[in-house]
Amino acid sequence: MVNNKIIFFLPIISFFLLISCSKESDQIIDYKDNYLTEEGGEIINAMIGEPSNLVAMIAGDSASSAIAANIFNTLIKYDENLNHAPELASQWIISDDQKTITFKLKENLFWADGTPLTSDDVLFTWRLVTDPNTRTPYASDYLLVKDAQTPNKQTFTVTYEQNYAPALDTWASLQILPKHVLKDEDINNTFFSRKPTGSGYYQLDQWINGQQVTLKRNKNSTQGQALIEKLTSRIIPDTSSQFLELIADNIDLMNINPIQYQRVFPSREDLKQKIGLYKELGNGYTYLGFNLKQAPFNDPKVRQAMNYAINKEEIIKGVLLGLGEAIASPYKPGTRWNNESLSPYPYDPSKALALLKEAGYERNPAGILVKDGKPFEFEILTNQNKQREMTAVLVQRRLKEIGIDVKIRVLEWASFINRFIKTGDFKAVVLGWSLSLDPDQFNIWHSSQQGPGQFNFVGYENPRVDELLELGRRELDNDKREEIYHEFSKLLLEDSPIVYLYAGYGLSAINKRVQGIKKPAPPAGIYQNSYEWFIPQSLRRNELAVQ
Amino acid sequence: MMIFFRNPLALSGLIIIITILFLAIFAPLIAPYDPNYIDIDSILVAPNTNHIMGTDGLGRDVFSRMLFGAQISLLVGFVAVGIATLIGIILGSVAGFYRGWVDSLIMRLVDIMLSIPTFFLILAVIAFLTPSIWNIMIVIGLTSWMGVTRLVRAEFFSLRQREFVLAAETMGASDFKIIFSHLLPNSLTPVIVSSVLGIASAVLVESGLSFLGLGVQAPTASWGNILTDGKEYIQFAWWLSLFPGLAILFTVLGYNLLGEGLRDILDPKNKNK
Repeated sequence: MVNNKIIFFLPIISFFLLISCSKESDQIIDYKDNYLTEEGGEIINAMIGEPSNLVAMIAGDSASSAIAANIFNTLIKYDENLNHAPELASQWIISDDQKTITFKLKENLFWADGTPLTSDDVLFTWRLVTDPNTRTPYASDYLLVKDAQTPNKQTFTVTYEQNYAPALDTWASLQILPKHVLKDEDINNTFFSRKPTGSGYYQLDQWINGQQVTLKRNKNSTQGQALIEKLTSRIIPDTSSQFLELIADNIDLMNINPIQYQRVFPSREDLKQKIGLYKELGNGYTYLGFNLKQAPFNDPKVRQAMNYAINKEEIIKGVLLGLGEAIASPYKPGTRWNNESLSPYPYDPSKALALLKEAGYERNPAGILVKDGKPFEFEILTNQNKQREMTAVLVQRRLKEIGIDVKIRVLEWASFINRFIKTGDFKAVVLGWSLSLDPDQFNIWHSSQQGPGQFNFVGYENPRVDELLELGRRELDNDKREEIYHEFSKLLLEDSPIVYLYAGYGLSAINKRVQGIKKPAPPAGIYQNSYEWFIPQSLRRNELAVQ
Repeated sequence: MMIFFRNPLALSGLIIIITILFLAIFAPLIAPYDPNYIDIDSILVAPNTNHIMGTDGLGRDVFSRMLFGAQISLLVGFVAVGIATLIGIILGSVAGFYRGWVDSLIMRLVDIMLSIPTFFLILAVIAFLTPSIWNIMIVIGLTSWMGVTRLVRAEFFSLRQREFVLAAETMGASDFKIIFSHLLPNSLTPVIVSSVLGIASAVLVESGLSFLGLGVQAPTASWGNILTDGKEYIQFAWWLSLFPGLAILFTVLGYNLLGEGLRDILDPKNKNK
């Protein structure tokens, strides 16, 4: 009997012994040392899902593009202040009629396998992305190129039918692929998508299905050498588990949520000591969008009333714990495209009721808004995203107070898009837009972009906005563009086709062993200089422990 | 009633169930707050004297939400099992009484239904319907009648040859009368036991569906919903995961104990014990 008990408790005892051992080995590290930059080490991050395909133009998921961005290069990039800067191209010249761009490639560029990288590869990539057989959602921007030439190995010129202002932005996002590897391959279905040859800082080292993708430094990198030797991305499908891994020191960085940022970290000295927090305003926003093709939201008065009836400050406080900003234009606050003279609709329920009265709604004795005998009620659709769901609940509460009955329906993403968005079968949605760095929003707001699967699914039509969006695409002078987009933002705010709810901060937690991160974050964000990050020898993980 | 006191397991199950029923029925009177009252100034407050189970991500009182969630869980349990039992009794009676090809047909249907993983079948069906509490009850009911069918059929098989049934048949009683007056009342014991156990699994399925976001829709509270809210904050706001988890645990345990106890009590072979 006694023996049995000991045997039973043995695993438990040994478990506690193990715990106490590992605790003892923890030492207090002072991260405030001024470390000298050092090469080597490994940084481990987490991703929600497995990358589908390392050819970015074919893949659509964020895990794939995040990894591909470390392997491939674009012709030009954005520097830390969001200005265009050289990457593969050392310079680019725009012709006087603004229709032709000539890119001069840098000297002595090589692919990871040692083959020279030339303008032929750039031309090949352009042909690939515009080939109708290539299954890519990004073709439309490159189809505007009327003619592409390679006068010599170092030069690539593109000529547009009409001048196209977002052109440089599109060349800052097209990753150049190697012609010598891909010329006889079907890009939709090729070994290359899992075994790529790139030119960037890193190359693929190891891909373990369902577990992790490891990159190592590319000795032939076209951009010089990054400092950290290995980048490992572990697949952890659940953000709560990612957070546990971050705390347990098994991953070095992740995006965290406002609760973790505002509540968990301040209450845990041990975490504050070893993990650094970073916040920066993201380039995107969350909104309540209406179906403008149907009553009641085809009436601008009703939409403005919604804007007055919703308390955005409350949503920012409740859902983001204050880590967000109310916005009045579809541009990131602080950038030149944002019209500073506009301010968000204030929370004013009595004004909302007055506007609804003008639109024909009366409150009945029970306090419910009624028009032509029918109560004002609608359903808000959103996808399975906790923040959006909470936002919808707060909107529902405020609208109920003025007599509108709102139902909420949370849907899985694919059925949300296919069943409701593409068919236009919705009254209102809570969704978000992430934006590109170019101010062109033709795809989202131009009246021609309303087909199934296109981005103007709310059905916005305003002739002056159409005109401005067309002008903005043709104008290469940034001062004039600024005026155009400021007027566009003003019209959009008046028409209120959507209610801007908030622009949230991107929140990152990074283990302090990673040094060289810029604080405060430059306009392009902290990840912009990740090739300059380094991990001092003394702070590295025990290499055996990682295995 | 006295019989329960001789069976402590059944008694404890009964007490748990009665307590939860009481809390659910009188939820509007007991709940200190409106379950959907949002207070963004007290988000994720730990349990204290004002909020005995703390508050959730929107400052809503978890205790009040738990009470109203109990209504949903119990309603789903009863209605879903009611549907399943009704279907099970009808199909089981028909199969057990008429036998022959009717029996073969119904039993093959049972085999087919049993070979499909029920939870995934429910997930697939819910994906096509509007997720609502009524749809969930119907879908759970329509996918869990097979056990009852088999039980009723087996009982009918053995009762069919008994003298009182043969007597009724000789006296010219109609099929309907034989089934409902003679066969069914004598085969209800196992059905009751399996229904009570069925409620437990229906409560679990509803919590699972709500946890996956396919159950009761926001802002209505259900134990599964509260649990899924809590998942995000599990290292920080333990009360959001602990209380609904315990509530589900005790409810399922209560029904299981009650079901097991009833089986012992109602089993005639145990009478002499």
